Amino acid sequence: MAAKTSTDKASFKPRIAAFVCNWCTYTGADLAGTSRLQMAPNVRIIRLPCTGRIDPLFIIKAFERGADGVIVSGCHPADCHYTSGNYHARRRFAVARDVFGFMGIDPKRITFSWVSASEGGKWAEVVNDTTARVQELGPFSAYREMEARV
Amino acid sequence: MSAKTLTQADLASLVGDLVAAGTRVVAPSRTGVGPLQHLDYREIKKADEMTLDAGLPKRSIKELFFPPTEVLFRWKQKKNDFELQEVETKFQKTVVIGARPCDAAAPEIVDRLMNWDYKDELWNGRREATTIVALACDGQDKSCFCTAVGLGPDSTKGADVLLVPVKGGYHAEILTAKGEALVKDFGKRFGEAKSADEAGKFRETARAKVEGNLKVDPKPIRTWLDGHFEDKYWGEIALRCHGCGACASVCPTCHCFDIVDEPEGIYEGARRRNWDTCQTGKFTLHGSGHNPRGTQNMRFRQRVTHKFAIYPRKFEEILCTGCGRCARACPGGMDLLEILSDIGQMAGGAA
Amino acid sequence: MQALQELARKLLTDKTANVVIGWGQGPRGPRPIFVTQPEHADRLIFDTRCVHNLATYLNPRRAHLVPFVKKAVVVKPCDARAVAGLIRETQVKREDVVLIGMRCGGVVRDSDMDGKLTEATVSPRCMDCPDREPKLADHLMGEEASAPPKGKGPDMIAKLDAMSPAERWEFWQKELERCVRCHACREVCPMCFCDRCIADKSMPQWIESSPHPRGNLSWQMTRVMHMAGRCVGCGECTRACPVDIPLGLILRKMTQTVEERFGYRVSDDPTVPAPMGAYRLDDKQEFIL
Ligand code: SF4
Ligand code: SF4
Ligand code: SF4
Ligand code: SF4
Ligand code: SF4
Repeated sequence: MAAKTSTDKASFKPRIAAFVCNWCTYTGADLAGTSRLQMAPNVRIIRLPCTGRIDPLFIIKAFERGADGVIVSGCHPADCHYTSGNYHARRRFAVARDVFGFMGIDPKRITFSWVSASEGGKWAEVVNDTTARVQELGPFSAYREMEARV
Repeated sequence: MSAKTLTQADLASLVGDLVAAGTRVVAPSRTGVGPLQHLDYREIKKADEMTLDAGLPKRSIKELFFPPTEVLFRWKQKKNDFELQEVETKFQKTVVIGARPCDAAAPEIVDRLMNWDYKDELWNGRREATTIVALACDGQDKSCFCTAVGLGPDSTKGADVLLVPVKGGYHAEILTAKGEALVKDFGKRFGEAKSADEAGKFRETARAKVEGNLKVDPKPIRTWLDGHFEDKYWGEIALRCHGCGACASVCPTCHCFDIVDEPEGIYEGARRRNWDTCQTGKFTLHGSGHNPRGTQNMRFRQRVTHKFAIYPRKFEEILCTGCGRCARACPGGMDLLEILSDIGQMAGGAA
Repeated sequence: MQALQELARKLLTDKTANVVIGWGQGPRGPRPIFVTQPEHADRLIFDTRCVHNLATYLNPRRAHLVPFVKKAVVVKPCDARAVAGLIRETQVKREDVVLIGMRCGGVVRDSDMDGKLTEATVSPRCMDCPDREPKLADHLMGEEASAPPKGKGPDMIAKLDAMSPAERWEFWQKELERCVRCHACREVCPMCFCDRCIADKSMPQWIESSPHPRGNLSWQMTRVMHMAGRCVGCGECTRACPVDIPLGLILRKMTQTVEERFGYRVSDDPTVPAPMGAYRLDDKQEFIL
């Protein structure tokens, strides 16, 4: 099902899903684009109102649908458009990271970051870092093999 | 019907022969270590993976014929058109070794439903491909009541071959054409029958032991159920029931399913059939929000009534083999033996 | 035991409660009973085989028990933690329940065992339980208890933590492969109280209802996430699972994380806010770039 990703490491192009908040990271990513910063082309952005709206289930769903890596990003602490959405998200993802890791999902496949509207450069870094890391890990073939057994 | 002898060593060799011949062999098998051990019916490749002396596996053999999930067909959307992919309805030859009689009997009971109006190809395909070598048992514990539903620890219903433990191996009763074929194909593993008496004793002792667990007559129970749909008994007995459906999951005869369409990407997907159970509230929930079986009392009544009145009325079979798994698995302490005995009494004294 | 029965009789007679939910002898050991008549109060028992978490019967999802309104429940310390959780999350009104607290020195793994408490028989949930008596209780009974025996066997969480992600993946795939998606783990849980579980939603369908490896993994990861800061460690889900998946391991791991990171320990004090509904400005965020 879903995407057929090459298992050959050299030609492997990671597919990365980024769940970002509308107010900070999305604007930051936009800035990175308009500033023509060098960025790996592997990231698909999904825009949400707030990191507080990002359910850990989104991460699972992204892997289910063929992602090799996931980025979750939003406003820095104290900058949340809705005051505290990112604080709640921080707690939630702290737990999700451990639970997913305990079930065998390599935490290296998931990046959490705070990227503000003015941090186009930081966004480019997050994208490049994550892509490099997932490139190194290779395709999330364990998830795909699980699907093949379905 | 004929009889043979199968020694321990020959049974082990038979497993090897079958595997070598490309047959899938399924037997009770223990896996996992320490507190994470399980006894399940599962495919084995070697005789030493088989555990025949550890009693009743936690789950029944139902899933060999009716897996917890299976694909009915797959679809692909092409522009404005759909392409359907059929699934295979021919299955690998399978021999189940060591099915307990309460498990062996179950598929034969459910056959009635699976061939009632629609003939279920997937069920039938697996049934045809499978030979069941049952193993007479001497009673798992106090929750066994196969004898109360017309079966027994040595019942031959649904079995192609019945093995009865005797010194050094088994006395084998060959019961059906499939059983005969097994003996014919692997004749060198089966010796002359010589322990019929010893086997008879084993069977008698086992029966006596299980009969002590529950003595009821299913007929008056059925009549009582037909006439007491609104009895206050249902409101009392099911208070502790969580509606968790663990009972149906482990039950060899429960066979309800749900059908779902699952996308597998954007333009493709599969229609699946998954196990379901009348014990969950969602089972009868209407789109309008109305639920005709709105409380657990009603849902539990359904479980008992379906097994002991509705199915018998329709198919002349009780939808229960008395394996006792539901009582063992229930986290809330519901106990079908107690309920049948209560109803038996209300229906006019124990039989 | 006699004190317990007398109290139950009194509560029913003076109509403080319409039902006393406790344990009584069943065919396979103690099991939940619902005493509504004072003359049946002598059916109540309590011993080390009383494993069930009866707080689960206060959960408003149980429509057939809601009509009783005023319920008295016999609780061990861990059960009281679940009652506190239900009150904390506004599922139960404190004034609607009478809590009969039992002093507790541990229970065995399942109610059909003989009740002798040893290293080998003690329930995993009791191994590091600090509470010998519930604080959230209207009545306190039972004998002073000493700490439950330490269980033996490997610390599976430490063992799993020491593995590589790929090995852990293998471990859980093997375990979850048996899951039949009966959702018994959810139904028995005192803290699963959603009227409609996300696993039951089909439009859109977030969690595939099919018991295949993909759906099973989503289901358990999601359930454990929803239990974060809620799970009282009663082990009922593990006990109910008909295919013996060691769900308690994931939940204990999650509980450790919640405790280490947020300093929150599940207690029977309903006034402490739930950790996932709260936050601190200085919560650790070393994992965030
Ligand atoms: S209803 Fe219970 S005893 Fe009867 S077949 Fe099912 S699990 Fe076995
Ligand atoms: S009878 Fe027991 S196993 Fe069945 S649904 Fe009720 S609580 Fe669950
Ligand atoms: S967890 Fe604690 S309170 Fe609960 S049964 Fe065990 S020792 Fe008793
Ligand atoms: S109780 Fe066990 S088998 Fe049932 S859904 Fe939960 S984990 Fe799966
Ligand atoms: S998740 Fe399991 S251990 Fe935790 S409260 Fe629910 S039933 Fe108890």
